[in-house]
Formats: sequence, structure tokens, C-alpha cells
Amino acid sequence: MQSSAPVVSVPEGTQAPKFAAHFATLDVQNHAARLGMWLFLSTEILLFAGLFVCYGFYRFNFPEAFAEGSRHLDLFLGTVNTIVLITSSFTAAMAVHYAKASKNKMVTLMIALTLLMALGFLVIKGFEYHHKFEQGTLPGKYYHFAGIQVPGITLYFTVYFLSTGLHAFHVIIGMGILAWVMSRSMKNHFNYANFTAVELGSMYWHLVDLVWIFLFPMLYLI
Amino acid sequence: MAIANESKRESREMHHEAHSGPAKYVIIWVVLMVLTVVTVLTGRMHLPNFGLALALLIATVKGTLVALYFMHLAEHQGANRLIIGVSVLFVVLLMTMALTDSATRFPLQNAQGSRLSDMPVTEDFLKAQFPEGNQQNEKAGSSTHPKEEQEPAQGH
Repeated sequence: MQSSAPVVSVPEGTQAPKFAAHFATLDVQNHAARLGMWLFLSTEILLFAGLFVCYGFYRFNFPEAFAEGSRHLDLFLGTVNTIVLITSSFTAAMAVHYAKASKNKMVTLMIALTLLMALGFLVIKGFEYHHKFEQGTLPGKYYHFAGIQVPGITLYFTVYFLSTGLHAFHVIIGMGILAWVMSRSMKNHFNYANFTAVELGSMYWHLVDLVWIFLFPMLYLI
Repeated sequence: MAIANESKRESREMHHEAHSGPAKYVIIWVVLMVLTVVTVLTGRMHLPNFGLALALLIATVKGTLVALYFMHLAEHQGANRLIIGVSVLFVVLLMTMALTDSATRFPLQNAQGSRLSDMPVTEDFLKAQFPEGNQQNEKAGSSTHPKEEQEPAQGH
């Protein structure tokens, strides 16, 4: 068992990984970091699963309302947002790939692209929300849209706003994490021995993508 | 030490991947794009019975691809897979139990206040929903007495 940092030779100008004394080796430390992230992401999955159960429960009771509601959403904007988010997930994966190859400039570029698409996602979502605020297709008792008056339609929009709102909140947090990772890649920190921050940050972003992959068909495609 | 060996193997596989080039990610991205287009097209057909099931099947395939390749689960070892497996199992249990309960209830067993028509709604909405007065109650899926419809705030 070592108590001091192991000697790791890293490319010049980059940062050697920080090593905590209570881990036997650097491999064990990386394994623990990854394991912790998976544990956190599984709690996130269960958080969204609660909303998915709400969706299933109300959809079972009000199938016509949910069909009407989903046809009322803008399928074009929803599809564009899905494509944007999947592509941003791809660039986040590429950032990890370049971090392992010690190419910090490419990491910065890939995360910048990811952040740009994240912003695009939020702007499109903002247009969709604005349209709904204007029309009055709001959750619960605030619903005042004359166009659809099927029993249960307020519940559809409650689920819509809760799940897309919680998802948008995750998008904003993910952008913060990725911006921090990008500030480090701009300082040329990462290399083949030190890329845990990029990897875990992009894992969070993939989860945001993963949740949207399920929200999209549930809300837009039935 | 088992755990040390496991993390060593994982670390080796993670690094080995760095030399294999970005082609794998591009392929996964293209597959995800194609599946998105497919699910939008099948969604627009409004398939009567299996539309949602098909959409969720495609979403599951997409989600699995993201987890396995973008999140590197395919290269990870035992503990990581166990966590995500247990998490998915819990989600399935949560859903099947809640939805089985919902699906096997008699309509009358729904508690007072659990129906939309029992909820406090705005005056406009009530007027729009019941333009001809109380005769429309059957349409609204309500099992309560018409008089209670007029006093939505009751009991809240």
C-alpha cells in the first residue's frame, strides 16, 4: 500500500492525476470514481422513473386526453431537439476520446460544441414553452385552452411541464459541469492518465440525453 | 485482491479503446439518428394498439446504445453493470406494480377527489366542459352526484 502519489509520467504541460492516499492504486481510485458516478446516475434514473409512473398511471385513466395532448405538441421542434441532444451526446463522447489521447484542444472544441447544442436545445424548449403560456395549455387548474376540452387534458400538461421542466433543469446543471471541464481543458490539464473529470462530466450529459430519448416518444409520439 | 484486478482490467480496456479511433462513436451516432427518424415516422402513423409499445421499444434500443457505448458500459466491469442492472430492475418493479394496481381497479373504487371532475377547476373550464349544464356528467367520466360538480372546491 502506498501513501504517497505514484509517479506517473504525463505529457508536458498537462496535469498528473491527483491521488488520494486511501486508495491502493490509481486504477482503484478511478474505478471508485466511476462506480460512484454510476450510483448517482442510478438515483437520477429512479427520480425520473417516478414521473414516468405518473405518466403511465394517468395515461391509463385518460388515453384520449393523452393522445389529443401529444398531437397538440410541435412534433417538428421536438424532433429537432432530439437530434440536437443526441448529437451533443456524441460530441461529449468524443471529448472523452480526445482527453484519453491527451489532445486538450480537441477536448475544448468538442465540449464547446456540446454546450452550443445544449443552449440550442434550451432555446427551442423556450419557444415551445412560450407558445404554451400564450395558448393557456398549462398544468392543473391553470389550464385555460378552449381548443382541447377532453377530461384529463390538464393532467397531460401537468406531466408534460413537470418532466420537461425537470429535464431542462438537468440540462442547465449539465452545462455548468461541462463548462467547468472545458475551463480545465483550456488550461491543458487532461491526458491519458488524467481524464476522470471529462469522463464523469460527459456521463452526466449522456444521462440527460438518455432521459430525453424516453421523454420524446412518451410526450410527442403517441 | 479481486477488486484491484477488476479495476486494473477495466482501466486497461478503457485505455485500449483510446487507440481504436473515433469510428465507433460515429457509427453509434448514425444508428441513433436513423432510429430517431424511424420512431418519428412510426409515431406519425398513429398505430392503434402497439404504437406506444413500438416507440418505447425503439427508445429502449437507443438508450441501451447510449449506455453501452457513449457511457462505456460495454467496457466496464461487474460492479458498474450490477448498479445499472439493479436500477433498471427497480424502475420496472415500480412501474409494473403501480400500473397493475391502476389497471385492476373498478372505476368506482377510485377515491373521492381522484377524478378530474372532482378537481378544483376554473369557472371558464367548467363552463366549456359542461356547456349544457349537469346533463353532460356522464361524458366527463364522473361517478359523483351532479350537485358536487357545481361545488368543485368542496372537501379541499
